[in-house]
Amino acid sequence: MPSSVPPASTRPAPAPLRRSTIFGLRRGEWALVVAICLAVLLTGLVDANHSYFNQPLECLRDIARNTALLGIFALGATVVIIAGGIDLSAGSMIALSGTICATTMLALAPAQMMGFKPVGPLVVALAVAASLLTGFLVGTLHAWLITAVRLPPFIATLATLVGLRSFARALCESTTSAFTPTKSATINVADPLFKTIRDNVSIPVAVFCVLAFITWLLLTRTVLGRHLQALGGNEQAARLAGIRTENVKWFAYCFGAMTAALAGLFYVANESVAAPVNQGRGHELNAIAAAVVGGCSLAGGVGTVPGTVLGAIFLRVVIDAVSKLIKTGADVYEGLIVGVVVVIAVTFSQLGQIASGGRHLLPGRLGLCAIPTLALLAGGVVSMTAGRSAGLAAGAATITLLGLLRVWESRRTA
Amino acid sequence: MNGISKRFPGVVALDGVTIEVRRGEVHAICGENGAGKSTLMKILSGVYQPDDGTLLVAGREVRFAGTQNAEAAGIAIIHQELALVEDLSVAANVFLGREKRGTLRLIDDAAMEAECRRLFALLECQVSPQERTGNLRVGDQQLVEIAKALSLEASIVVMDEPTSALTEAESARLERTIARLVEGGATILYISHKMEEVFRLADRITVLRDGRHVCTVDRAATSPREVTAWMVGREIATEGFRNPRHAGKKLLEVQSLTLPWPEHPRGYRLADVSLNLHAGEILGIAGLMGAGRTELLETLFGAGGPTWTGTIRLHGKPVRFSHPREACAAGMALVTEDRKRLGLFPDLDVAGNVSLCSLDQALRGWLVSRSAEEELVAGPVRATGVKTPGLHAAITGLSGGNQQKCIISRWLLTNPEILLLDDPTRGIDVGAKAELYALIDRLCREGLGVILTSSELPELLTLADRIIVLAEGRVTGEFARHEATEAGIMEAATAG
Repeated sequence: MPSSVPPASTRPAPAPLRRSTIFGLRRGEWALVVAICLAVLLTGLVDANHSYFNQPLECLRDIARNTALLGIFALGATVVIIAGGIDLSAGSMIALSGTICATTMLALAPAQMMGFKPVGPLVVALAVAASLLTGFLVGTLHAWLITAVRLPPFIATLATLVGLRSFARALCESTTSAFTPTKSATINVADPLFKTIRDNVSIPVAVFCVLAFITWLLLTRTVLGRHLQALGGNEQAARLAGIRTENVKWFAYCFGAMTAALAGLFYVANESVAAPVNQGRGHELNAIAAAVVGGCSLAGGVGTVPGTVLGAIFLRVVIDAVSKLIKTGADVYEGLIVGVVVVIAVTFSQLGQIASGGRHLLPGRLGLCAIPTLALLAGGVVSMTAGRSAGLAAGAATITLLGLLRVWESRRTA
Repeated sequence: MNGISKRFPGVVALDGVTIEVRRGEVHAICGENGAGKSTLMKILSGVYQPDDGTLLVAGREVRFAGTQNAEAAGIAIIHQELALVEDLSVAANVFLGREKRGTLRLIDDAAMEAECRRLFALLECQVSPQERTGNLRVGDQQLVEIAKALSLEASIVVMDEPTSALTEAESARLERTIARLVEGGATILYISHKMEEVFRLADRITVLRDGRHVCTVDRAATSPREVTAWMVGREIATEGFRNPRHAGKKLLEVQSLTLPWPEHPRGYRLADVSLNLHAGEILGIAGLMGAGRTELLETLFGAGGPTWTGTIRLHGKPVRFSHPREACAAGMALVTEDRKRLGLFPDLDVAGNVSLCSLDQALRGWLVSRSAEEELVAGPVRATGVKTPGLHAAITGLSGGNQQKCIISRWLLTNPEILLLDDPTRGIDVGAKAELYALIDRLCREGLGVILTSSELPELLTLADRIIVLAEGRVTGEFARHEATEAGIMEAATAG
């Protein structure tokens, strides 16, 4: 017990770290690294085309681009979550940012935009600045709603989740009707600068890496970063310790919205179009999922940049793996994959606790009903992707395995 | 109740307590804060399980695994903190978990409301059973709890300091209710430290002190003065802080500080509080729970909201802090009452917890330097004698006393002139308490002005140079060290 330990505090040098890290990564993060390698290896072997072995560069480029795009605003989500909040509006912020960028260019250089000609670097710079400024304004709105109006973060950002997308569409339509002959819900962006970004995967990857490094510095080496963690860990105590919690929250939500705005620019470049109706739809949940898979706690105070980066890579690798295994219509399953990965990753991180605390995964009547639910889910998914007999087998296997688990659990306590 | 013991980590809350309660009596249980009254009642109502000892109800041994077992055995408890679901109607709360069912097993609101109305008529309560419970005043909410106990047809009703939030009229109504319950054959266990009330209501009185049973007496055979003496009568630890400290210049002057409390019948949390604090002096603030000690310190620290009136002068200049940060910059520090809820950051390590308020001092350029932070933190951590396996150990792994020393270290780094300590030794074991006393004494001798609140009188008598007593938000007594006695303070604290 602590009282028997000699006062070693006088010698800080050999101080043991709080959470032990190996080469700077924690245990859960190493587990993610292993999982990523396993997923890549398995996909390479199982995939009938063996595309990971035959065209490694193209595959890598795909995953890198998708990871960078997801990772950029997942970093924002991480900062918000560590500060004890949640930002559900990232997907809509992506759409709004792209729309602001495109409408600014259209308003400043309508002729070039309509003729698919270059608009010039100054106009592009203004458009990008306008998008990032919009991110700042949206973050400010969130912080105001949360700290001054005292809305719960979930409600405030749920409102902007629906509101911003609708606003973006309205803006797109009114700008197109003002500057072009026809009203439209999309604006094509054909400037060569954006084409360069689209064709050159190293740009989003470089931006992601720089942003990740800055965020890492922010969280581990600045006063503000420490205050973010303190705020997320214990808000009342943070206030009583003299931290201006409103300002810290303001920063967190601006960081969240501005990273989403940055990602929005890359989405426009990638798709050569600003499409507020669909661009970034549902992506906020992918960002939160990446953060959670990477070890963030939605209760706040806990989370790391390496974790989120690995979480984003893992998510994209698994999604890519499924698209390699299912040749057609794999994007239908993207949401399903994200959901399953989040549940499994978080369950995995609690396995030790479940085993040592004698907690049951399938307790009582609820556990009994959960077994066929999970079996139906597994069977259904497998039969839709790999045929009916495989689906039946998967369902039966799930029932058997969970049944055994249940029997084992009840034996253990009896 | 036979030889009941209950231990918590580091504390023995109850030590072999045996109490016999007779059918149909009003049995008062008295004791200071921390004497074990509430723990005993929680055992009786099945919230806690005893480590030792047995409970006998009507001669049969019982074991309660939860409150429902206790309710089944006819024991209902009315907690100090009310346990109602604010968003449900009054009737729904009375029957929560035992809802009446009608046709098709659907909830029968009409029947519950009718029953509720009948019970309320007995209790002289004018509230509609359909009212949202959160809209009720505290006194009425308490009656809802009592109605719940009545609807259980409980033979034993436990009331834990029921009048602490009531007005005079509501208290009188509660007393009539108790008389009526006793007439109906119920037994009442009444926990209170208000002597006046106890002597008006109780047939017999049991006194607890430090988790032990002191005595059980008939009301007629004793006096309030005697019971108060039993409540506090223990050796006072006088550990050599007796050599006088020398008060320096006046640091803080508070005049007629009033903090309104609109939603409460009393109308204020603090009323007309005045005090002075000098450098090198410890000012003790005594008072029972809810007397306003914490509110006073939080208001001084700018954390209590802007609604207060009166004047606070720091070095003679009037100040009005709107945020703890301003108080901190002006040289004040507050070690909060509830360490876990208001003081600790469980996700930060020891160094992070200590350096939090003064991390600017560890900056090298824009970035926090790890080594500078360790250097910064090592000083106060050593000075306060924190025992930790390392500066980067988890703060949650330290004992309560060491956590508290970390929080004091945190504030020492801000170079305060005034240290506000809100019940700093709560939940800390005896050895660590002595170390904290020595630390507080030393800091004070180094020139800090200290305001110390405590729920334990011996602590104040050991440490403080002067003691101010609060009761229900008012100053009801001020004692210099040589004239302070536990009985005198207790009398002032229960004067409300």
